[in-house]
Amino acid sequence: MDRKINVEPIARVEGHGGITVTIENNEVKEVRFDILEGPRLFEQLVIGKTPEESVSISSRICAICFLSHRLAEIRAQERALDIKIGKKLQLLRKLAHFGEMIESHSLHYYLLALPDYLGYPDAISMVKKFPQEVTGALELKKYGNKVMEIVAGRRVHGENLTVGGIGRIPTDEELDWIKKRAKELIIEIERGLAVWEKLDIPDYMEEEMTFASVWPEDGSYDFRADTIKISDGTELPGDEYKTLTNERVVPHSFAKRCRYKGRPYSVGAQARMLIMQDRLDGEALKWFKKYYNERWHKNPHYNNVAQAIELLFCLEHIPEIVDEIKKTPWEDAVEGRDSGKGTGIVEAPRGLLIHHTEVEDGRVKYADYVIPTTQNLDAAELYMRNAVENLIKQGAEDLELPLEMIVRAYDPCISCSVHLVKVIRK
Amino acid sequence: MGKPKIGIYGLTGCAGDQLNILNCEDELLKIFDIFEVKSFVMASRAKDESVPLDVAFVEGSVSTEKDLEELKKVREKSRILVAIGHCAVFGGVQSMYMGCEAWMERYKKVYGKEDAVTISPPLEPRPLSAYVKVDAVLPGCPIEKEPFLKMAGLLAQGVIPKNPDYPVCAECKWKENECLLLKGEMCLGPITNSGCGAICPSHNIGCIGCWGPIEEENFAAGIALLESKGYTLDAVIKRFSIFGGTERGEKLAKYIESVKGGCNG
Ligand code: SF4
Ligand code: SF4
Repeated sequence: MDRKINVEPIARVEGHGGITVTIENNEVKEVRFDILEGPRLFEQLVIGKTPEESVSISSRICAICFLSHRLAEIRAQERALDIKIGKKLQLLRKLAHFGEMIESHSLHYYLLALPDYLGYPDAISMVKKFPQEVTGALELKKYGNKVMEIVAGRRVHGENLTVGGIGRIPTDEELDWIKKRAKELIIEIERGLAVWEKLDIPDYMEEEMTFASVWPEDGSYDFRADTIKISDGTELPGDEYKTLTNERVVPHSFAKRCRYKGRPYSVGAQARMLIMQDRLDGEALKWFKKYYNERWHKNPHYNNVAQAIELLFCLEHIPEIVDEIKKTPWEDAVEGRDSGKGTGIVEAPRGLLIHHTEVEDGRVKYADYVIPTTQNLDAAELYMRNAVENLIKQGAEDLELPLEMIVRAYDPCISCSVHLVKVIRK
Repeated sequence: MGKPKIGIYGLTGCAGDQLNILNCEDELLKIFDIFEVKSFVMASRAKDESVPLDVAFVEGSVSTEKDLEELKKVREKSRILVAIGHCAVFGGVQSMYMGCEAWMERYKKVYGKEDAVTISPPLEPRPLSAYVKVDAVLPGCPIEKEPFLKMAGLLAQGVIPKNPDYPVCAECKWKENECLLLKGEMCLGPITNSGCGAICPSHNIGCIGCWGPIEEENFAAGIALLESKGYTLDAVIKRFSIFGGTERGEKLAKYIESVKGGCNG
């Protein structure tokens, strides 16, 4: 039997993607995750611009993780220009970053992923049966947005955090509200986490995976570092990111592809949690222990619950971050030079994000961005192929939803994976 | 009369405008109540492309043949087409003026050759209005929630809304901010559409123009003003180009030709 399956566009992901599966004589010929989103050539748009402008431009790569892009570019610029910032600014960035994780994870876990497991076309249709969970999700999302609005200037594409500085420091009242609300919302995410217990997690795609994430030097579970850690034990200094990523072009996608030692690898909440699990604490650690099992190493569906646990971790840690911000005095950044190279590494909600920049006389000369979704594409294709092969053997009729669910588990930000590209230096 | 039927679509962009619609947390359920949402793939798996729409909201620039095809289909079946966000209204940062080098040359540098990616032929990014009739626009990178809700309210009553035609500066003055230009900072408030509430100047940060060029912008005067503050022509042109879209891009190219006799690569 010949069959061709086309799912396009994939719903409830951000940006344009499609899945193409070709089956001939009950044999899988091809499984492709197509990226249909048009190219935006970001790495060229920043050429000739100032470091500040390049931060504003490159944050437009993605709406949901604009702040991660912003922080990665800021870090790249500060390393290139040897700018040293004070502790208060570090903490403010951390707070905004936690806000982004909360916003993005609540959007994905509840509104984009859970409907599949529970059999709904969208979260709005879930309201009748799960009123508390859906309104709780919207409250969490609103809170994450509010944190970004206060610290980063806007919900999306805020300009308040800059290279070496900040336009406006949040007031004590705003900070107190952030702290108070974080504590109030813990119960909401715990309610959401409880839903996971009742779900059947499919196993038709499983295969052992390699994972990568940041490896914060101070021993904390955090989303920024200058070191990358890979699940095979390798630790890489940030500027050697190419050892991990090895990007290449494929014909069916405007997004480039990555492989580590010739094999697909995964980034994201699941990768972070597997790599930094010993650094979890509080209730987040308890939920991790409750839900963790061997299948986490070979099944992308666990990325969803890892996001929910991370969301809880962020809420639990915001109060102490706020306290520290309040008691830390402001210090101006120490200016460095006007030329240099730098790599900025952060965890976007969807995984490891790398911005590399080269600046000459205050103007960007070269840029290279490696985006989480680019790194996950090969892994997603591998899992989809496994799924199709096994599901055909089991005689399953509907292949579309299982494949869409794999793609959605990666929470792909397709628009941001498109631009991805190398600039040939003149 | 039933509920107005709407669709929300995304072409090439960052999905920030659709995201800010999802970010109407308090009003989201109401939106789904007032309108019959026929297509919003970022939010729902359920969609019905077979019926005519009263209003289509379209985000993103036209950047592939596929985008263009989709846009034409949406245009055909919709009574009112609204461009939402800078990419749809002006072309987005991906359409900024980049000096002499043609877009295809830049594309090839990135992907190696013209046909390295075969999935859908790429097009130089352009706003919706380059290809189809646009009935209303909602600028911003991304759009803000309040103007969107206001517009949706008017559209629900059958009114096609118009945008304010004054610059960010007006909003900045209402907020009684100290003018950043007077402090010598590069701020594009005078030549940028209002609508954001002068967010950046209110955070002591110069406007970079993300609501796009106001209709009758006097950018020659803007350039002269910033040059008088000590910025080089090149620096000013670069800043103007970021959110200038395709239209200002063409004006900038002419301006540079007239003062420099070249295209300022
Ligand atoms: S206008 Fe801005 S927010 Fe909207 S899609 Fe384009 S880049 Fe994203
Ligand atoms: S002040 Fe300017 S750059 Fe800032 S949000 Fe408004 S239009 Fe955009």
